[in-house]
Amino acid sequence: MTGTAPKRREWDFTRLWSLGASAFALGFMLLMVTLFIWQSIPVWKHEGISYVTGKSWFFRQQEFGMLPMVYGSVMVAAVALIIAVPLGLGTAIFTSEFLPSRVRLVVKLIVELLSGIPSVVYGLLGILFLRNWVYDMLERFEPLNGDTLLTAGLLLAVMVLPTIMTLADDALRGVSVNQRLAARGLGLTQTETIFSIVLPQAAPGLMSAVLLGLGRALGETIAVFLVVGRQDNQWPDPIYSMRLLIESGQTLTSKLGSSETNIAYGDPLHWAAMVGLGLILLLMTAAITWVGIRLGKGKDGHA
Amino acid sequence: MHFTVKRSLALGLLAISLLPLGASAQALKINGSTTVNLPAAEAAEILRAEKKLNIQVDTQGGSSGGISMVGDGLVHIGMLSKPLSDDDKKKYPKVNFKLTHIGEDAVAMIVSQDVWEGGVKAVTKQQLRDIYEGKVKNWKDIGGPDRRIAFFNKEPGRGTWEVFTHWVYGDSKKAPQVSFPEVGGNEETRNKVASTKGALSQLSSSWADGKKVFALGIKGEDGKVVIPDAAHIANRSYPMSRPLYFLTNGEPTGDAKTFIEFVLSARGQDLVRKHGYLALADLK
Repeated sequence: MTGTAPKRREWDFTRLWSLGASAFALGFMLLMVTLFIWQSIPVWKHEGISYVTGKSWFFRQQEFGMLPMVYGSVMVAAVALIIAVPLGLGTAIFTSEFLPSRVRLVVKLIVELLSGIPSVVYGLLGILFLRNWVYDMLERFEPLNGDTLLTAGLLLAVMVLPTIMTLADDALRGVSVNQRLAARGLGLTQTETIFSIVLPQAAPGLMSAVLLGLGRALGETIAVFLVVGRQDNQWPDPIYSMRLLIESGQTLTSKLGSSETNIAYGDPLHWAAMVGLGLILLLMTAAITWVGIRLGKGKDGHA
Repeated sequence: MHFTVKRSLALGLLAISLLPLGASAQALKINGSTTVNLPAAEAAEILRAEKKLNIQVDTQGGSSGGISMVGDGLVHIGMLSKPLSDDDKKKYPKVNFKLTHIGEDAVAMIVSQDVWEGGVKAVTKQQLRDIYEGKVKNWKDIGGPDRRIAFFNKEPGRGTWEVFTHWVYGDSKKAPQVSFPEVGGNEETRNKVASTKGALSQLSSSWADGKKVFALGIKGEDGKVVIPDAAHIANRSYPMSRPLYFLTNGEPTGDAKTFIEFVLSARGQDLVRKHGYLALADLK
C-alpha cells in the first residue's frame, strides 16, 4: 500500500476485502481484454486494417471485413436514439418538473421496471407486433420483409427509453432547488426556468444519460437478433443512401449471436475474426460508457 | 457493536462470493439439430417419466453446434441432420466420433401461399442455382407471379443448408458465398416464410404443412416432378433426402446408451415416424 494512506486501522478486514474485490474486478476486465486481443491476433495478421475497413465477410473464402456490421450497429443505435432521446428527455422533464414528488416516484418505479424486462421478451414483442407493422407501413418501398435495421432500431428505442428517462430525471433533480427559486423570483415563468436554468445546468448529466442509453443499444443482442434479418454484407451504395434501413442487415451482436460462432470454433482464423468482432464491440461500448460517466460527473465531482 | 455488525456483514458477503458457482447433478446432455430434436425431446420426456433419467435437450447452433459440443465434451449426444464431414473429424482429431443412424428426412424447398397459388409448384436444380446466385430475383422469371423473391437462407452450419448446397453444387464448400437474410431453426424458417410474401426457403420436409408453407416439387432433367413425400424419400428418388443421426464420442455408454437404444426400439422409431420422418424400417 502507499505510504499516504492513514496509519490507523490500516489492515482492517473491510478494507482488505473491498480492496480484494476491486482488484478482482479490475483483473478480470484486464484479463478479458488481453484474452480477446490475443485470440484475435490471427485475423489482424491475415487482414490487417482491412479487417475493420473491409466491406465483405465471406468466411469460406477467408475474407473478413466488419464494416457492414459496424454500419448495422451504428444505424440501429441511431434510429433508437433519434426516437428515444426526445421522448425520454420529454418524459424526464415532465416527471422531474411538473409531477408532485410522490407521483413522480411511482412513475419512475414503473419506468425502471420496464428497463428490467429481459431483452428476449422485447424481442418476442418485436416479432409479434413490430415486424408486420413495419412491413405493412413500408410496403410501397418494397422491403423484402419486416426484418429490417429500422425494425431493430424501433425495438431498441423502446428498450433504451427507460434508461434515458430515469437517468435524465436524476440529472434534472440534481439541479438545486435554490436556483429554480431564484429564477422564479426574478420573474421567469416555469417554462423559462426549465429552458434557461435547469436544462443547461443538467446538460452533462443529460448527455451521459443519452450515452449510457447508446451503450445499451450497441450491446443489445437477442432482441436485435430476432428482428434484424441477419443479412451479411449490407453496405449502402451510395454511402448516404438510407435504403438499407428498410432492408435486412447485420449488427456486430447479431453476427456474434448466430450459429456461425459454432462453425468458427476450431478454425483459428475464423475464430479470431469472430473474437475480433467481440473486441471491437467491447471497445465501442466501453468508450461510450466512459465518456458518459465522465460527463455525468458534473462540476462537483459526483453523480 | 457497530464494528461487529459491519464485520459480520463483510464476512457474510465473503461467504456468498466464495460459494461454488454450480453444483448440479450430472445430467445427460443432448444438443444439435432442431430437426432431430422433435423425436429426441419426446423420447427424453418418456425416459424422464419412466426411468427417472435426468436429460437436457437443446438445439444451440443446429447440427454444427451438436458436432462441436460433442467434440469439446460439453454434451454427451449430438443431434445431426447431415452426415459428418471429414473437416468435422479433422477439427477434433482426439475424438472418436460414432454415428448412430435413427431415421431419414428430406429438405424441401418451401414457398409462401401467394407463390404457391401464383402457380409455382416445382423448381429445377438450375433454377435454384440461379436464385441462390442472385441471377433470378423475381418469381415471374420462373413462371410465377410478378413479385420479388424473398429468399431466406438457412444459416451455414445448419444440416438443412448443407444438404441443399451439397445437392445443388455437389459439395457445400463449392457453394458461392451469398448474402441473404438468414434463418435458424425450423420453426423460425416456417414462420418467416409463412408471414412474408414471395418467400422461399429450405426446410425439413416434415415441417411443410401445406397450409401456411408449401413444399415445391423438384423437376428433374427428364421433366418429371418429384415431391418430398414418404414414398419418394424412402426410395431415394427425391434428391435432397438426408439421414438423421445421433453422434457420440465412442460407443455410447450409461444413460446415453439407454437413450439411444430407446430411440432405436419400436417405440422410439414410432416417435421418429410421428414427426413425419422415415424410420429405419421404412428405408429400403
